[in-house]
This record gives sequence, C-alpha cells and structure tokens, in this order.
Amino acid sequence: MRIISKEDFNKFVNSLIKDDSLNVIGVKAKGNKFAFGQLESAGELRLDYDVTLLPPKKYFFPQRETLVTYNVANGFFAKDPADFKPTILLGVHPYDIVALLHMDEIFRETKSDPYYFEKRKASIIIGVNIQNMSKWCFAPYMGCATVDYGYDLMLTDLGNRYAINVGSQKGEALLEKYAKNVSDALARDIQLVGQKKREIMNMSQQKFNFDTELIPELLSKSYEKSSFWEKHAEACLACGSCVLVCPTCYCFDVKENPDLSLKEGERIRTWDGCLLEDFAKIASGENFRPTRPTRYRHRYFKKGKYLFDRFGFISCVGCGRCSSNCLPDIANPVNLFNDMYNEVTNTGEQVAPVAQPDVSIETEGNINYVPKLATIVKKVPMSYHETLFEIKLDDGSNLNHKPGQFVQVSVFGVGEAPISVSSSPTKKGTFEICVRKIGSLTTKLHTLNKGDKIGIRGPFGNGFDTEFLKGKDILFVAGGLGIAPLRSMLNYVLDKRADYGRVTLLYGCKEPREQLFGDEMAALEKREDVDYKPSVDWCPENELWAGNIGVITTLIPQVNFDPETTYAIVVGPPIMYKFVIADLKKRNVPDDHIIVSLERRMKCGVGKCGHCQINQIYVCKDGPVFNYSKIKGVPEAL
Amino acid sequence: MKPKVAFFDFAGCEGDELQVANLEEELLDLLDQVEVVSFREVMKEHSDNYDIAFVEGSCTRLQDEDRLKEIRKNAKYVVAIGSCATIGGINSLKNYQDLDDVRRTVYGDKANLFDTYAARPIDAVIPVDAYVYGCPITREEFLHVVKALLLGKKPDIPNYPVCVECKKNENVCAFERGQFCVGPVTRAGCNSCCVNEGTICWGCRGLVDNPNENSQKEVLIKYGLTVDDAINKFKLYFGWQERKR
Repeated sequence: MRIISKEDFNKFVNSLIKDDSLNVIGVKAKGNKFAFGQLESAGELRLDYDVTLLPPKKYFFPQRETLVTYNVANGFFAKDPADFKPTILLGVHPYDIVALLHMDEIFRETKSDPYYFEKRKASIIIGVNIQNMSKWCFAPYMGCATVDYGYDLMLTDLGNRYAINVGSQKGEALLEKYAKNVSDALARDIQLVGQKKREIMNMSQQKFNFDTELIPELLSKSYEKSSFWEKHAEACLACGSCVLVCPTCYCFDVKENPDLSLKEGERIRTWDGCLLEDFAKIASGENFRPTRPTRYRHRYFKKGKYLFDRFGFISCVGCGRCSSNCLPDIANPVNLFNDMYNEVTNTGEQVAPVAQPDVSIETEGNINYVPKLATIVKKVPMSYHETLFEIKLDDGSNLNHKPGQFVQVSVFGVGEAPISVSSSPTKKGTFEICVRKIGSLTTKLHTLNKGDKIGIRGPFGNGFDTEFLKGKDILFVAGGLGIAPLRSMLNYVLDKRADYGRVTLLYGCKEPREQLFGDEMAALEKREDVDYKPSVDWCPENELWAGNIGVITTLIPQVNFDPETTYAIVVGPPIMYKFVIADLKKRNVPDDHIIVSLERRMKCGVGKCGHCQINQIYVCKDGPVFNYSKIKGVPEAL
Repeated sequence: MKPKVAFFDFAGCEGDELQVANLEEELLDLLDQVEVVSFREVMKEHSDNYDIAFVEGSCTRLQDEDRLKEIRKNAKYVVAIGSCATIGGINSLKNYQDLDDVRRTVYGDKANLFDTYAARPIDAVIPVDAYVYGCPITREEFLHVVKALLLGKKPDIPNYPVCVECKKNENVCAFERGQFCVGPVTRAGCNSCCVNEGTICWGCRGLVDNPNENSQKEVLIKYGLTVDDAINKFKLYFGWQERKR
C-alpha cells in the first residue's frame, strides 16, 4: 500500500490529463447527479460521489458502435482499427469494477467480442472506495462493496491523503511515471483502510431479509407464480430504464445505417433491453415475450438464475441504479426478492442455497461480425411468397455447414437476418436458402436477381446430429416453411441413404399453392425407399389435390413406424409443435426420440445479443436444434 | 429514373416542411436521389405526377378528405410528416371543446361560413405507408424514412419510449429535476432532444403501441401533479390516440 497527499494526487491527475497520449475519464458532477466524463482538470474529479448515472461500461460497450462498414461495390469491412488512446477510468467504485469482470466473462464466453476487448485491454482502472453510498445501493449484500481484484490502482480517502492499493504492473508503472512523493504506507494507514472498508459494509440503507446466496433457488421456486409477477410488474412502463442503466446488462440490437448515396453505410450496434416490448419479436410479428410481467420476470431470472447457472455469479452487483431510475419504483431487487422470500417461505417451504455450478469458460477465437461477400447464382420461385436462392461464396469456399444450421444473410442497406440453410452439405460449391417474403430483409431479397451480391455470416447453431442418427429410422414432420431447414437433413439422408433406416416425410401446408419443392416432392412420391405423405389444411374448389386434407397431425395416425427405433424430426411454425408432439406421444414415441428446431429473433448468432434467449437457452448457440427431452421443461420453448 | 416526390399541407404550421427545406447540404444529396415536383413552401411548380407524397397537417374538415383521397390515388407511397399528420397533433385539443364554440372563437360572426370537424391524423382518412413523427420532425428521421423507402424497406421507427434515449444520453431524469415529463409513454426516435436540452418530453411523437397510461398518470401524481394536470399532460398531444384507445 502507498500513500499520496491530496495535493500530490491532484498533481498526478493533472499530469495524466496533460499527456495527450492518454484519454483521462473521471467522475464529475452532472446537475445534482454524477457521471463519468472527460476530465479537464483534477478539480473536476468528484471522488466523493454516490453513484454515476451510467456505469463505466459505456467506454467498452458504447451506446452506439460501428461493427461493420459496407459499400455496394466492394463488400463488407471490419471497422477501421480504432485509433483510440488508452483510457484511464478514475474513480470507479468497487461494485462497478466487479460488474466489468462480469462483462469480461460474458463477452469472452464461447467467442470473444473483439470490439469490447480492444477497448477493455487498453484501459487502466483507478478505483476508489465508497465514501458516500447511494440510498439505493445494496452492494454489501452482493459482496461487491469492496474489492481486492480488478483494478490497477485503488484509492481510499484518509482525510488529507489517499491510500493507494496497487493492483497491477500497469498501475505501478503509472504511479512511477506520473506521481511524485508517493511513500509506503505506515501501519496506521493500513489499519485505517481496514476500518473504512468495514464501515462501508454497514453503509447500505437497503436491507435484505435473507442471505442473497438463496436468490437462484428462490427464483426457481417462483417462476410459475404468475400472480406474484403480475403484481410486481403491473406498473411497469416497459421503458427499459432499469436495464439500460445496469452495469451488467449487455443485450444489444444491430441496425443498418445507409448513407444518402444508398451505396455505402455502416452497421451499428446499440444498447437494447429485454424489458422493451419488441425485444423478442420476430419478422412474422410473433412476440415470444409479449407481456410486461413475462419480460419483467425474464430480467430477474437472467440476473439471478440463468447467468448464475452459466457463470456461477448472480449478475447483480448491488449498485441500485435500476431502483433509482424506476419511476413507478418497482425495479428495486431488494424489495422484489424480500417479497419473493416471504411468498416462498410463507407456504412453509424450505429454501437452501444451491451448489455452485461447474463453470468453465472457453473461448474459441473472435466473433466475426463481417459478412463474407456472396453471389446469388440462381433464383427459383417456390410459391407466391417463397423463393429458393442458390448462393456461392465469392472466396470460393464451401459453407461447410451441418444440416439444420443457419446463416445470417446481409442485404446492402437493409441489414441482416437469420435464415436456415435448405441444402445438404453434400452439395458442394453452392448452398441454398428458401426464403419467405415477410420482413424488410426478405422482401428486399426477393427483388434481387442472379448475379446480385449479398453477405453471409455463419454457419451458426448446432444443426442435426447426423452421426447419432445413423442407422435410425427417421420420421420427418414439416409444417409450411419448416420444410426449408428440414430439407438440408432430408437431402443429406437421401444422399447417404444406406446409412439410415426407414425414412418417412409428413409435409403439411395451408393449401396446395403453398407447397414448396413441388418437383422434389413428386420425385419422393416415386421412391420406394421413402414414405412420403403430404397434406393441406384445406383445398380451394378450383385446385387439384390428391393427398390428405387436414392439419399435419391428421397424418400421424396414418403412418407405420416403430417408436423404439424411430426419431421424429419436427420443424414448423411455433404453434405446430405442441400438437405434433402430443400426437407423436400418443404413438408412444419417447420424448428423447423427438427432435425440434426452433425459430427466434437471432441477431448476433453467437449467444451475446440476448434476443433469441428462451429462459436459460440461447437458440442461436445452444440450438436451433433441440432434443425435446431437453427442452420440455423450458417454459418459454414451445 | 428518380422517384418523384411532392409535399402537401393540411391543418398545421408547415414547420415540418421547413425542416426539409432546411436540410442544407443534405438537401443536395437528397436531390440526387429524388425529383421534387411539388413543394409549395420552396417552389412555384406543381405536378400531380408523383410517386411519394409527404403530407403535413391534420384533417380538420370534411372537404379536406377529398384532397387527401386524391393524393392517395396519385401516390405510390403516402408519408405522414409531423405530429398533426401522424397523431392529430395539438389540433386535436379542439376535440375536447364544443366545435361550434371553436368555430365562433376563430371566425367570429362568420362562423357559419366555415365548416369544421374533430381534428384527426391523416391515417384516419386514407391509408398511410410511413410516418415521420415529431413536432417538428427531425431532419435525421426524415432522411432515415426517405432512405428506407428508396431502399424498399420498412423504416425503423422505435416502439419504445423516450426514456430509452434519455438513459443512453445519460440525462438526469426530468422528474429528478422537479419537472413532469411524458417520456415514459412517448414513442422515441427524437434522441430525447428536448430532455437533452434541460426541458421535458411533451409527447409530440405520440404514444408507443402499448403505453402503460395508468402507471404514467400515477407517476405524475406521485411526483406532485394534480389529477387534472396529469390528465392535461395527456391531452396536449395524445388526444386523438387516447380517444381511439
């Protein structure tokens, strides 16, 4: 521990500011509140602040950030390497330091986010122990009121001097270069710092009535208590304030920003929030979390359960910003969890802390936000609103996808949308996507022609387990456009026909004109080694239809299969799954013999942006293919 | 061939058209993309041959409906611009009063010569393809909508409240400054421009799709507004939308 007088500390700060190679950020007054901002002089620094309006994450994960630039002539490009200077953050409270450590783990899990880490790695954190605690702060209960790690330097105010804990070589070097008259701490200073830290532990005006380590278990017992969530969320304005000010929230949206030439532009990411109404809405208009109580519940579950299960930490540091920014005053986690504790224990239920989950965070390279340029080599109309596009990557590579995976398709000026691959990986050189004209991107895609350029990222997701399914009988059940992802697996199986057992395809559409891949279906009808049964919900009088009439489930009693050896692969619109699964179960198909593929709003494709999340699962990364036995207990899934 | 665009005004102050006229350098870039065939505020020429019609102002008389329908017939796309055209605007304040009184107040003893009816946004009369909200509109959003139409995509207009932008801009909440704001129920997209400047959100962009109006009124009252004043806060811009809900 070191000691510096306040006078020399101010000189230290001013000499940092004077160095043009550094970007010096500190806590300053903003109205009657505080905010991190560019420091002009040491005099502006307010280390006695209670809490800042926004947490310091805005310097690493900014409100608005360019991910990709594009021009129609040459394609997509990574943002120019930022010419940013190392950022020194002065006056970060311990809870915000812990929050940054949370963000570090989240942004490097599976794939690392290059834009976050380029800034994070170039930063120097100078923390300060809390002198005034916001009345909403409950950091002591979350174990985040003081911290021994995560900073380069940590200051403690000792009246006429600061005690400095050096946390890193970078911190040491900074002191050496810019500070004068730094001495080693005396025993009395060490004792004083210890006392200050103990005082901080008693500063909170909030009070938890139970041990916060019970939070994950309390949540587990409260998911289904819909009246509890409705009561707490009744006044929710769905304004997103609670999540936008949160130091550990990281959901984002990605938007296209073309310039006026319409030939160039940028793709940006902006903060998003799971409390906002359209957060889980997809192009077809389906909203997977349409009500305020379900979104409100999702926030607490994400913080207290889903991230705990994945990372082993409760993703709340107790800063109290959500509480202080909520106008109807319903966002305070202390109030909610105390009420939850009462609700659960009033029924006599015992709540014990759950075991820490096994955590291993693996990183396989960086997220690539830059699409590869690709060319539409063929465009085949499939129905009045669906088209098959055959696509070739311009670098000549194969997509190397697995059946059931999806790609993110970019259209210049419009943006990016997840679309499942429709062709089998056995088809080399090009791949196919079958697209329904439904949102902006797919509508625009339909106006493009052979030779036009698009962008492709991926493949993403897990895909079907082709190895496991070898030797098994397969019952494909496709509803409407569900045939598109299914066809990648169907064609794979047909190309390796000897590797698989009996193959049955049940394919249902609304009406005959909606049927896709008509020629291929006609060819299937002639094959001896495939049992093909089509159906339409209804057939207009003037159209011919030789197949079954009725919803897809009416086909299930008509086919012969052995539930012991058969695996059903079901893909269709969200409404279809529960009916098909119920009827398969009537035919004694075990749960773990049912495989589904789910559709959600997948923005980033790598389990970061949060849009496709169903309870603890990221559809883009953990799916889109799921074994039914694994998701039947996941309430938001089907 | 460049799409032809035309501007029309109904009951309003023409402030939105002024925002377009004031685009400065960007106006030239815009004119690379479109041909303006009618714009009373800046040019004499007029043509009925246009692809995109931008309509400012609300419809406050039965006879204006014919003109709107004519515009709809001529245009491939109709874009409502400004509060009056998109949500009825402050013109809808008169809907809370007796319309004969309104006529007498404005036209005195000639009141009988002038017809009026409840002020309404133009989509109460004709189908509208896109909206540029605000009083006045922002140039950025106007350009955003124009670019979207030219690219053949749906404009990306937020369905979340102004609070989102306030938080991103790190504003001190108007309520924390002792002011009363309807940002929590008002459609964002203005980059919280009024609150950034130290004032409040008046609601000029109208309500989000599913506002929690009861909660917002309770918040206004909790922070010290009278019930009547809280209701008045909602009348200023939300009159037409509130009546529809």
